[in-house]
Amino acid sequence: MIFVPITYKGGVYRHDEIVDLIEDLGGYIVQKHMIAQDVVLQSLVPKDDVDLIRAIGRPLGGEVILAPLVGTEIAVVSPSLEIHHLPHSSCDVAEYLRRAGAKTNMVGLARGFGKRIANLNVEERDTINEHDLAVYVLGNFETCIEEKFPTLRRGIHVPIVITGAPPSDALKRIIDPPVEGYVGGMGRCMHRTKKPEELSTLDAMVEEVSRVLDEKRAEIAKDPLSVSPARLMKVIEEKMEAVHMVNHPTPVTVQIAGLRVKIPYEIYAQDLRFLEIESGVTVGDVAEVLPSKMRNYIWLRIKPFSETNIMV
Amino acid sequence: MAALEYFEVECVEEKGREVYEQIASDVLLDLDLVRVVDKLHIFIDPRVPVFVAVGTTRRSGGLVRIRDFADVNADEEGRAVLSIGDETYLAPMLSILWERYGKEYIDQPDRFSVVVHLPAGEDPRAIEDIVVADPEEGLYRDLIYALQIIAPEGFKVRREYHAGGVFYYVASENTLPEEIVETLVAEKLKLVGVTL
Repeated sequence: MIFVPITYKGGVYRHDEIVDLIEDLGGYIVQKHMIAQDVVLQSLVPKDDVDLIRAIGRPLGGEVILAPLVGTEIAVVSPSLEIHHLPHSSCDVAEYLRRAGAKTNMVGLARGFGKRIANLNVEERDTINEHDLAVYVLGNFETCIEEKFPTLRRGIHVPIVITGAPPSDALKRIIDPPVEGYVGGMGRCMHRTKKPEELSTLDAMVEEVSRVLDEKRAEIAKDPLSVSPARLMKVIEEKMEAVHMVNHPTPVTVQIAGLRVKIPYEIYAQDLRFLEIESGVTVGDVAEVLPSKMRNYIWLRIKPFSETNIMV
Repeated sequence: MAALEYFEVECVEEKGREVYEQIASDVLLDLDLVRVVDKLHIFIDPRVPVFVAVGTTRRSGGLVRIRDFADVNADEEGRAVLSIGDETYLAPMLSILWERYGKEYIDQPDRFSVVVHLPAGEDPRAIEDIVVADPEEGLYRDLIYALQIIAPEGFKVRREYHAGGVFYYVASENTLPEEIVETLVAEKLKLVGVTL
C-alpha cells in the first residue's frame, strides 16, 4: 500500500468521522491540532483513498491538501536566535515548513554568529543529527557564508538545505563539498516576509526541502525499513500508557526512519524495547532505542530489513 | 527612504548592499528615527570585516513645553484648565504637575482635560511654559541601538560617537588599528559633507 501525506482542515463538528475513516482505511494520523473551532489532521493515507476522504469531508466543510512533509522532523538551524534579528527569518522558515506538514525544531546555536568565531558544539551537532534534514538559515554575505559554513556543518550527516541572501548559483559555487539543497534570495531581513517575491522564495524552499526528502525516501526504499514509523507510532500510542500523560503536541513524533518518543529514557526505555509489535516481534528487534539529545526523550532509529530480516 | 536627505549603502557585494539598504530602512522606520537622521552613509566590507555608519542628525526642535501640546485657559475660579491635544507627553506632564503642585490639586475629569487648582496669586498662563521633555535625551542611545541592530551580529568590537549633530559607528569582528578606523571614518564623513 502506498501512503501519501495529506493535511485535512475542517471544523470540529463531526471530525471524528474523518478520524475513524482514516483509521479504517488503514491510514495514520501523525498529528492532530484542535484550534478553537478548527481541526487540522496531518495524516498518511492510502493513495487510492484520498478522493474518498475529500468527498466525505466536503459536506463537513473540510478540505484535503497534499502536504509533502507530513511524517518528517526537520531542524531549522540558525546561527543565532538573538533579539538582534527580530523579527527572525528562521521563524518564517519554520512556520512555512510546518504548513507543509513537517514537525520543525529550531536549533539556535550558542556561538554561531561571526565568520571567524562561529562554532558548532557537540550537543548541537548530535541534536541536529537526530533529524531527517537540517535547514541552515544563513545570512547576507557570500564571504561570510563561505568562511563559516564549513564550521557549522562539521559532523552533520543528515541532508542539509542551505538558505542565504546570495542567489542559489552563488551558494552552489561557494559551498564545497556540495550540500543537498540550495535556496537563494532569503537572508537576514528585519521584517516579516509578506511581499509576493519573498513568499515565492519560501515556497521554493519548501519545494527544495521536499525534493531532498524524496531523494532520502527513495534511498531508504532500496533497503526498506523493518517497520513503518507511522505504524510503530500507532503501536506505541496503543500500548504505552505513559505517552498519553505528556503535554507535548506530538508525544510521539514521526520521522522518515525513526521516532522521537517524548517520555523519559531512564524510566521507559526498557519497557519500550520489549513492547510487542506483532507475533512476538518486539520494538527492540526492529529498532535501536537510544537516548535523545533533546531533554531526556527516547529516540528510535528503525533498522532496515537487511539488518533484521524481519518485516512487520 | 524619502525622509532622509541622503541615504547610501556601499558594499563590495551587490546583493548584500541591496539587503542592507532594506534592513537599515526597516530598522530606522521601526525605531521611529527617520525624522531624526538627516544623512546616513553605510559602508560594509565583509572581507575585512568592517561596518561603518556615518551621518548627521537633525535638530529635534528643542524642549517640549506644555503649550506645544495643550491649550491652557483660566476659568472664573482661577483654576487652570488644560485641554490636551496630543497625549504623547501626558504622563510625564502629570508627574511634573503632581510634583510641583501636589497630587490633590490636580484633577483629570476626562482623558483630554486636566484641571490644576493653583495657589492664590499664581498666573494660570505660566503653566504653559513648564518644560515636560527633552527629545535630545536618549537620542544618542536610540541611535546607537539602531545602528547596532543594523550591523551584522558578529561585529562585537565597536566604536561609537555622537556630538553636535554628527555621528559615526564602526564595528568589526576583530580589533582594527586605530588609524585605519580614523581614516575610514573621515573618508566616509566627507561623503556626507562633514569633517570632524
